[in-house]
Amino acid sequence: MTATSDNAKQLRPSLWETINERYPGVMITKDDLIPLVRLKKPLPEARLTFISSAGIQPKGTMPFDVVHPVGDYSFRRVPSNSKVADLEIHQIKYPTNGAARDLNVIFPIERLQELAAEGVIGALTPNFFSFIGYQMDPPTFERTLAEDIASAVVADGADAALLCPA
Amino acid sequence: MSLKYLKEAVISNDTEKLIRYVRLHLGDGNEAAGGKEIDKAWIEALKLLLDVPTTNREFIVRTLQQQDAATLAHLFFHLHFYFVQRSGEWIHDGNL
Repeated sequence: MTATSDNAKQLRPSLWETINERYPGVMITKDDLIPLVRLKKPLPEARLTFISSAGIQPKGTMPFDVVHPVGDYSFRRVPSNSKVADLEIHQIKYPTNGAARDLNVIFPIERLQELAAEGVIGALTPNFFSFIGYQMDPPTFERTLAEDIASAVVADGADAALLCPA
Repeated sequence: MSLKYLKEAVISNDTEKLIRYVRLHLGDGNEAAGGKEIDKAWIEALKLLLDVPTTNREFIVRTLQQQDAATLAHLFFHLHFYFVQRSGEWIHDGNL
């Protein structure tokens, strides 16, 4: 990944060092910048998507594979007009007590629906996107899951993406 | 630990690295807790068989014969979490 704008900044410069300290075996060696690009239209005119590693999915869809020792490289489409009651969490690697009481703390779908209704955001993409964050093979993550979500986001006509790690 | 790290451990037959990884996975990053989780799953499975209940052995034999090893390995991890959950001592933060 290479920076594509002059003012690209690393959001958390020490992030990789922290991860490698906690997970010996050189889990991540990436040291280049995360490319940031300017929004091409004002937010009230933009179509926003939301991408989350919280393991949120519509009820009745195949549960994320939280037991696999290497991870689950699939994602779920979450219709952006979903009601919280239609969604569930499959994830065992982060505390979900708060999210069980109010899903918006980890997956703020109702807040985004409200912001779109108020015109703060131009529109929401038809779908939001969710996966689980337990991935032990970053190259596969980049080649498959990240690319698949990126393609789906483009197909949904997003102008901007809000990414939220769990 | 990266997949590359684990595959190198397989090639060099470094079983300590491999089992440490399993314990870390099952213990959510806590190796000692992961070891206890393995024990917990086996104890729960053993308890269920002490009264020698009728089991569907045909299903077991058919599954072992018909499914590939990777699917069975995946099932093995599922069974671990199934028995841990069944024990009632769930240490994980979320849900399967």
